[in-house]
Amino acid sequence: MAYVIASSRLGTVGDVFEPTDGINIEALIEGGFIKSTSKSTKSDKPSKDTNEE
Amino acid sequence: MSTSVYLSNPVVTINSVDLSDQCTSAVLTRMIESLESTAFGQTNRSYVGGLENSTLTVTMYNSFAATETYATLKALVGTQTTVKIKPTSAATSATNPESTLTLTYLESLPIVNGQLGALDTIDITFTGGAYSVAVA
Repeated sequence: MAYVIASSRLGTVGDVFEPTDGINIEALIEGGFIKSTSKSTKSDKPSKDTNEE
Repeated sequence: MSTSVYLSNPVVTINSVDLSDQCTSAVLTRMIESLESTAFGQTNRSYVGGLENSTLTVTMYNSFAATETYATLKALVGTQTTVKIKPTSAATSATNPESTLTLTYLESLPIVNGQLGALDTIDITFTGGAYSVAVA
């Protein structure tokens, strides 16, 4: 899985982040420092409400 | 006589996050536990080296703003991470070595240390991990 930098505290925003040994990826994601580049399998569009009354 | 003077630009990174501008103190202590090896016939105690148990203690301002102190540390409590420190922000060299604790453990995190009329500061200590130093 690839990650991009989302905070200047980590490096240049937008650059690929390559974690070194011992880096806690989950903590970086939770803190908003990096983002995963993997795409969600679900559509971002909200589903239509077909239950019209 | 040469000395090391820490004015304003030591670099402290915790879990790859540069928190230097929040730190006011950092103490890295390399420690190797002593195991007593004194035996009959000796007139003094003697020791040999045991397991390494180095520590990094950092004092920093507490901030709950985005990508600041709390955001960096909140998910590290009870986990292992990697921390780095070097004397200045200049390139790593023999006279500006970068010390690293890999897979060091953060046992506790003060959430609030509030005092009337004072900034919120916290002390955190990373314990254990493998110590290494880079000079280039």
